[in-house]
Amino acid sequence: MSRPQEHRCDVLVVGGGTAGMAAAVELAATGIRVEICEQSARLGGAIHRQPADGSPAAGLPRALGAQWQRLSQSLAHADIVQRTRHIFLGIDSDGLALFEDRAAGTVRTVRAAAVVLAVGAVERIAPRPGWQLAGVTTAGGMQVMMKETGRVPSGRILIAGNGPLPIALAAQLTKLGNPPVAVIESGDPLRRPGAALGLIAHPHIASEALGHLARLAVAGVPWRRAAALTAIERRGETLFATIVDRGGRTTQIGVDWIALHDGIRCNAFGLPASGDAIDSRPLIVRAGDCREALGAIAAEADGRRAAHAVIAALRGGKIARDGSSRRVAGQRMAQALLSELFRPVNLANDPRHLADDTILCRCENKTVGDLRWLLGQEGLSPREIKLNGRFGMGACQGRFCADSVMAITAASRSASVPEDIEQLTGSRWPLRPVSIASLAATETPTADTNHPTE
Amino acid sequence: MGRRQQKSAIVVGAGIVGAAASYFLARSGFSVRLLETVAPASGASGAADGAVSVASKRPGAMMDAALAGVALYRELEREGVLAGLFTPRPTLMVAETEAESAVLDGHAGALANAGVTVERHVGAALRARIPAIAPGVRMAVEVHGEGHAIGYQIVNRLIEAGGVAVERACPVHRLALAFGGTAVDGVVTDQGTLHADIFILAAGAGSAALLGLDGVLRPRKGQLLVTDRAPALNVSLHGSLMSCGYLLSKATTGTPDRSTERRYGLVIDPLRTGQFLIGGTREDRADSGNDLPAVQRLLTDALRLMPALAQLRLIRAFAGVRTATADGLPLIGRAAGLQNLIVATGFEGDGICLGPLAGRLVQQMATGATPEIDLAPFDPGRFALRRQDA
Amino acid sequence: MRSGQFTWQGQTISFRPGETIAAALAGAGIGDLGRDGAGAGLRYFCGIGACQSCLVRADGRIVEACLTPARDGAVIAALEPLA
Ligand SMILES: Cc1cc2nc3c(=O)[nH]c(=O)nc-3n(C[C@H](O)[C@H](O)[C@H](O)COP(=O)(O)OP(=O)(O)OC[C@H]3O[C@@H](n4cnc5c(N)ncnc54)[C@H](O)[C@@H]3O)c2cc1C
Ligand code: FES
Repeated sequence: MSRPQEHRCDVLVVGGGTAGMAAAVELAATGIRVEICEQSARLGGAIHRQPADGSPAAGLPRALGAQWQRLSQSLAHADIVQRTRHIFLGIDSDGLALFEDRAAGTVRTVRAAAVVLAVGAVERIAPRPGWQLAGVTTAGGMQVMMKETGRVPSGRILIAGNGPLPIALAAQLTKLGNPPVAVIESGDPLRRPGAALGLIAHPHIASEALGHLARLAVAGVPWRRAAALTAIERRGETLFATIVDRGGRTTQIGVDWIALHDGIRCNAFGLPASGDAIDSRPLIVRAGDCREALGAIAAEADGRRAAHAVIAALRGGKIARDGSSRRVAGQRMAQALLSELFRPVNLANDPRHLADDTILCRCENKTVGDLRWLLGQEGLSPREIKLNGRFGMGACQGRFCADSVMAITAASRSASVPEDIEQLTGSRWPLRPVSIASLAATETPTADTNHPTE
Repeated sequence: MGRRQQKSAIVVGAGIVGAAASYFLARSGFSVRLLETVAPASGASGAADGAVSVASKRPGAMMDAALAGVALYRELEREGVLAGLFTPRPTLMVAETEAESAVLDGHAGALANAGVTVERHVGAALRARIPAIAPGVRMAVEVHGEGHAIGYQIVNRLIEAGGVAVERACPVHRLALAFGGTAVDGVVTDQGTLHADIFILAAGAGSAALLGLDGVLRPRKGQLLVTDRAPALNVSLHGSLMSCGYLLSKATTGTPDRSTERRYGLVIDPLRTGQFLIGGTREDRADSGNDLPAVQRLLTDALRLMPALAQLRLIRAFAGVRTATADGLPLIGRAAGLQNLIVATGFEGDGICLGPLAGRLVQQMATGATPEIDLAPFDPGRFALRRQDA
Repeated sequence: MRSGQFTWQGQTISFRPGETIAAALAGAGIGDLGRDGAGAGLRYFCGIGACQSCLVRADGRIVEACLTPARDGAVIAALEPLA
């Protein structure tokens, strides 16, 4: 089939965060023709998100500030085609990489010899009654808004969930002049001295965390450990959060904003599988948080590692060793220590305790009760949960419900639990909903004959 | 145990045909085991559009079968078995050119002759009836008495209503024969050879390997698209919009061609969710991928009929593989000289419409009743089947 | 990159250079973005295009408010009519 104007490059890097930028720079340095595409208007990704008005980003720990300098300078001097506001849609069955070019309102295609997927992570948000309300964001979502605008939301803010990110967000809010009313943490890090001692081997993590905690202490922000936010209700202008504390006692806090965060996971939803080039399909390699969510230091090293793997495959020869893999391994140990430090002790957010009317899949408006009803059938397969229950079928393609659907399914024991989340979320394009007008505005292939349909 | 031994049946394949056969057999007193390689509706039944429609059929055996198929959906809906799962709605066949208008008029006549109620809309009446229709559309023929059903929902309901136990992840590897090769003794599975009085082969694409139908059965892939929800636009389209362009082409479902050429038959189906389903391609291949040229072509064709779709997004693309036969007609009947084996497969793009009917025909054959429609055109005996036993 | 104004449900909203639609609406105190076709509430949530719950109709196209820079003179509306 003839396809007019097929645009080609050697390597396409998808995602302009730390991992994608590092991979692109490393590849371009060897003379390989690289294109990098990013969905937002500026490169940077989760950690190096740049202010919307073009002013320099502020407030990162020194090691990360240096990382941005290094990556952005190298990128500026390298011969790399940068495409922003390009949403990666996937790779079609003919091996063609597809993007929606939001500025032009069209779909673009690239035929690449290799594709590095570096689309980062998404946050885990445990469903709770009311999590779908306006005024409730993810902690990362609140950070994005702050990084881009330099403004903090006005009014009372409550942060709840698990892990180091809620503390980091709280410290940022405090620094910008609006400390949160509290940070609710389901783990109990101060009672895990073993893990805390282990972090001494990772001084940048330890000192960053201590810095955040010191700032919160000075501002008098309570860090309520072994506690969980179990429900949100809106009454008038106020969001009321129900908090269950260590002893099982329940209190309510009224606020204007709630930021939730229960961890990080790879944003691998719907992505084409990694693997060697076959027929028209390019070599596909994943890098950074979308391969393994280990943070920004690891993402840079992992981007390089991915680049070396691609270079070896395209040019022949051995994969260059520069310590990248070792650095990733070091960060893996650090993250394991952090997980241990923050291991939840308050289990009130366990999906098994959820009321039936809790929204599970916001896109399809499906509740926990809908899933439980479905699971009443013996031996249900993942495919039936998806088709009959519509879980993972909505516009977000399971990014915010698939983990919980799996957890509730596993708890029910009547269904065969998907071994792999992909059985629920699938792997096909478009990875993101795409404008029909944009698709139609792209060059149309030659016409075939008509035929009756069913 | 009762004095009169209950008769047993093994049904191979839990698509819509196997589910329907199981349901009707269970209802007439058989003990039924439904064996499935993957899970219910994991083949074409779970990746199909769900037109329950006579509109696109050419006069003859298929039009007659479709009429009976639609009538059965109505009956099962009334009885409650398929309550809530069959959405009555007309098919709106549209013509964009003078030539298309002419063949569409002829087709409308043929449908009317078969007893179908059709209505012709042009000019202002057409715009009033289908407000979202493009200015370029000249004429529409509204085919009444049709409907829509979602394959996997029907499968699910029939299995439930029949109280049939599905054995998932239970592939049948081959048939074991008895009585000098004149009957099936059992089906060979990972759990050993399973026995029954009669066997129903409704394994879609998987039927070929069990019966040696490889020259007869062939894959015909179809790509389908799903849009965002758009409740107001969805409600304004009261039926399924179908381009009649295919009536102009010489190709029919029955052309025994081996060409790899891709063909398009455009349908815009307003789903009950408020989304639109846009289909579909016909391709002589068996993969389930989606490619940009096909998706673009379907969308451009759809926009030509209904420009307002440009405001929506494509949220999902998928592909199913239909099982077609060399002459375009399904196989329903006893096969390969095996007295206790009934085959029901090869429904290509009509299995959602004809599945329940096929199930009831199977039951009629199994119980010695007279089939409700003439099965001669669908007799598997018209092909020389090479058995894969031994 | 310029500042400017767009309308949201007929109301004029100012934005600063480079700001997304979501940021400008949040700046104006608007957090409830109406409902989608399934009847589910829309609002800013993840900030990275993943959750699909900040959808708006911008000049006729459905887009994520969190990914779309505001444009001077744009007409932005809720997906479904606000109650
Ligand atoms: C909320 C949050 C807070 C964090 N805080 C810290 C912290 O304080 N310290 C720390 O060390 N680490 C932190 N991390 C982790 C750190 O940010 C990441 O490990 C690191 O930035 C990962 O880099 P990456 O390149 O793999 O992913 P990212 O930086 O996320 O880059 C992925 C890029 O892909 C783009 N993209 C996604 N989908 C598409 C698509 N379909 N089409 C086009 N582009 C697309 C995204 O817009 C993004 O720019 C945080 C992570 C998150 C999510
Ligand atoms: S806030 Fe999640 S997609 Fe915009």
